[in-house]
Amino acid sequence: MNPDGNVNEKTAPLTPAMFHVMLALADGDKHGYAILKEVEENTGGEVLLSTGTLYGIIKRLLGDGMIEESRQRRPTAGEDSRRRYYRLTRRGQRVAVAEAERMEKVLAMARGKRLLRQPRPV
Amino acid sequence: MPNQKRSWSSRLYRGLLRLLPFDFRSDFGGEMEEVFQAQQADAHRKAGTVGLARLWWETIVGLFRTAPREHLSILGQDLGYAFRMMRRNAGYTTLAVVTLALGIGANTAIFSVINATLVRPLPYRQGEQLVVIHQKATKAGIADMRFSNYEVADYSEQNQTLSGAAEYHGMSFLLLGRGESQRVRTGVVSPSFFDLFGVKPVLGRTFLPADDLPGAPAVLILSYEFWQNHQGADPNIVGRTFEMNDRVHTVVGVLPPVPQYPNENDVYMPTSACPFRAAPRFKENRDGRMMSLFGRLKDGVTLEKAQADFALIASRLESQYPKSYTKAMGYRAEPAALETQLTQTARPTLLVLLGAATFVLLIACANVANITLARMAGRERELMVRAALGAGQSRLLRQLVTESLLIGLLSAGLGLAIAYQGLDLLVDFAGQLTPRAREINMDRNVLLFTLFAAVFTSVVFGSVSAFSSRSEVAAGLKEGGRATMGLKQRRLRNVLIVCQVAFSFVLLIGAGLMLRSLSKLQNIDPGFVPQRVLTMGIGLNWSKYTTNEQTLAVARQILAKAQAEPGVLSAAVASSFPLDPDALAGGGFNRRFQIEGRITPEGENPPVSAMRIASPDYFKTLGIPLIQGRTFQENDDEKALRVAVINQKMAKHHWGDADPVGRRITFNRGETWITIVGVVGDVREMGLHREPGDEIYLPTFQGGGLGTVLVRTAQEPMSVAGQLRRAVLDVDPQIAVTNVVTLEDARTRSLSSQRTTTDLLGLFAALALVIAATGIGGILALSVSERLHEIGIRIALGARSTHVIRDVIGRGVGLVMLGVAVGWAGAVAVTGMLKALLFQVTPTDPLTFWGVSAILIGAALLASYLPARRATQVDPLIALRSE
Repeated sequence: MNPDGNVNEKTAPLTPAMFHVMLALADGDKHGYAILKEVEENTGGEVLLSTGTLYGIIKRLLGDGMIEESRQRRPTAGEDSRRRYYRLTRRGQRVAVAEAERMEKVLAMARGKRLLRQPRPV
Repeated sequence: MPNQKRSWSSRLYRGLLRLLPFDFRSDFGGEMEEVFQAQQADAHRKAGTVGLARLWWETIVGLFRTAPREHLSILGQDLGYAFRMMRRNAGYTTLAVVTLALGIGANTAIFSVINATLVRPLPYRQGEQLVVIHQKATKAGIADMRFSNYEVADYSEQNQTLSGAAEYHGMSFLLLGRGESQRVRTGVVSPSFFDLFGVKPVLGRTFLPADDLPGAPAVLILSYEFWQNHQGADPNIVGRTFEMNDRVHTVVGVLPPVPQYPNENDVYMPTSACPFRAAPRFKENRDGRMMSLFGRLKDGVTLEKAQADFALIASRLESQYPKSYTKAMGYRAEPAALETQLTQTARPTLLVLLGAATFVLLIACANVANITLARMAGRERELMVRAALGAGQSRLLRQLVTESLLIGLLSAGLGLAIAYQGLDLLVDFAGQLTPRAREINMDRNVLLFTLFAAVFTSVVFGSVSAFSSRSEVAAGLKEGGRATMGLKQRRLRNVLIVCQVAFSFVLLIGAGLMLRSLSKLQNIDPGFVPQRVLTMGIGLNWSKYTTNEQTLAVARQILAKAQAEPGVLSAAVASSFPLDPDALAGGGFNRRFQIEGRITPEGENPPVSAMRIASPDYFKTLGIPLIQGRTFQENDDEKALRVAVINQKMAKHHWGDADPVGRRITFNRGETWITIVGVVGDVREMGLHREPGDEIYLPTFQGGGLGTVLVRTAQEPMSVAGQLRRAVLDVDPQIAVTNVVTLEDARTRSLSSQRTTTDLLGLFAALALVIAATGIGGILALSVSERLHEIGIRIALGARSTHVIRDVIGRGVGLVMLGVAVGWAGAVAVTGMLKALLFQVTPTDPLTFWGVSAILIGAALLASYLPARRATQVDPLIALRSE
């Protein structure tokens, strides 16, 4: 991303763990534990984030303005009061989209060279 | 149970969270606990204890990965901020860095010397195992008798605790090669000498046992310095031949640049090649001693065990050879660690200098702490704003500590550069105290020490700013809080000033005592007149001058030529001269004698005296006064009555108030008697700080002994050096002319280590005074500006200028006097350490103490005057409006 906040796909690469966290937030506000669970399920258990790693990522994404704490979602009566919800910001969405598009291009190149089989139509 | 487990695991998890920075914990700690609890429940449900264990492992690994990243990230932010603040306050930064750099540089310089000489192991293989053995006559006060040929063999063969032993003695021979002959300092050693030390040659080989067999071809090993400086570092030197002692010697090797102990030599030869060492008369005489003995302890053997071993051998020899080891001698043989021997002279001086340098650093720290304290009062707004924006107190403290560390590290870099510049001077200085000086360099230990000094200074003055920041933020956040120093900070500031003054006082006392001591040494009457006297070392080819007659003939020729030179008022030849560096290094020449009518019984020690051979005009040339009788005459030759001249000390010692002229002494139990014909004044032969000892002078033309030519000149003595040298070489071109030096230079050089120590202490003291005085002046100026309002009111109410001046100066001087009082007590406690270095000055010398007190109070007055004047110029209206 260049300094004025515009997404430049050429500077978009995030760490895989950061991207997974952003993916988990792509479809709505989530708290920390929910993010951890979704990442684990989406990757089939291959990516297991510890609390230290997760909150290091959250701190960085907050600092970069890619996520924000959700003021609308608060812990409900039955939930732990320490729970906080996060959501993607517009900027975060743009970065996530740019990263996904970059990966798509790379996948297409890999298929073109027959490293990967073409996906079967569903 | 699950609740108990959860609380136990929560506590443990919370403990692990402490790895993370405080701010991170504040922001996310609660959440992380909540998530971890949920993870625990999930893991336990799915996989039981195994799942929990895996979760804990992954959590701990994750925290250990995240924590350093987070700390580094904060450090990066703090460093960036610190750099910006330093740029914005360039004046403070420069002052702080330069002040601390001076202190750190002084410490680094001295530590580099201490590291090389006292800390680092010897540059020999397993140097801690090397010992030097001394034979002592404890009841006769002789600490090093040296060894005879038989004694070297006895101790080498009978000991149970050494894996090897080797002998050494030093000679001075003539090396004849191409060009002018050279007198070379020659180490005569056992073939195993270099192997004992583990010294490997840079070229060729060391000695083999076959080199020491009688009749073996003569071989030489060159020292590294001699090879570099006199043989042009010729890579083909091995195999080159030189003539020495009427034999052709072949160079077989060159030594590496290691410290040579006990003396620096130019060349080495095996014992069989030394005509004196190999002479049957010397070898068969148990009491003919001149060698030193070295050894290497066996693995696992302690020094104490070796000492017991040698004590046993000594007592065995005592009973086997009672004539050689009389009961009156108190005979001992003791091994001592070589490491200690190499550094015992240097140790007290170096430790004193390290103490002084540490004081300079403490003073610099106190000064910078005071400046920082003053600056913190002006940073109150900045700290308040940051606190309001969410920075916790620990975050602010961390920032301030980072700033301090940065200043400390910059100071360390500059200090290292300062120390590096002074390295050559330090090597010269340390070289006067220990042969290990050549090892001085800036190695890893020195860099670590510098880093330690940087961290130490940062912690000292950084904690002041941290302490102050707590109060600043607390005060500033109060409604209507203003940017002035609180009471605690003012007290701390005053304490820092008192500390600076106290440390400066102790340093100044040390420097003052050394200065008085040096002054006494420089002004002491040496017993001779050193002005306009030139000395020149003479080295004859021993193999050419085999009889006394030949030596005396050449001595007469040299004297005649010297006396005939224009500009020469008088000339003499002698075995050596007062403060001769070679004599000082070798300990002089002493001899036992007997007085007629007072023959010492068998088994008791006859008296001993230093001995010198001198020609008739020796005393006139040196300006040594004649007290009684006469000095030597031209007809005191080999055909005449044997005569001697003694000094006043010896006359008093053995004859009291009676006249010794006409009395007789003998060196060989009455075979030959020598008549005392005169008494001369005492001369400080072995050092200006040493009291003159008993001295016997024998005439050159009865005793031989030609080592030096001395001339007293009408003009500057070095102006005749060239012509005198030519005159000597006219007599015999093979004579080696060495050590051309004026007697004044010899006297100056004999004081060089005291002078350098005094100069260094003086430099440190001057630095301390400047730092402390500028610190006091600066703080007083700040105090005045803080009190502008109060001073304005006082002036408005009618206070006179003199009252205001008295008040400001009084505060400054009051603090300094308190510092002087504390420093006085400290100096009395500490200056006892200097006792060994002082001459005719006590460690609590009143003149020095009162003088330094006056200097410090005077400096305080000077530093206080400007701020005091400024205070009287305050306009009351402006001061009152600033409320």
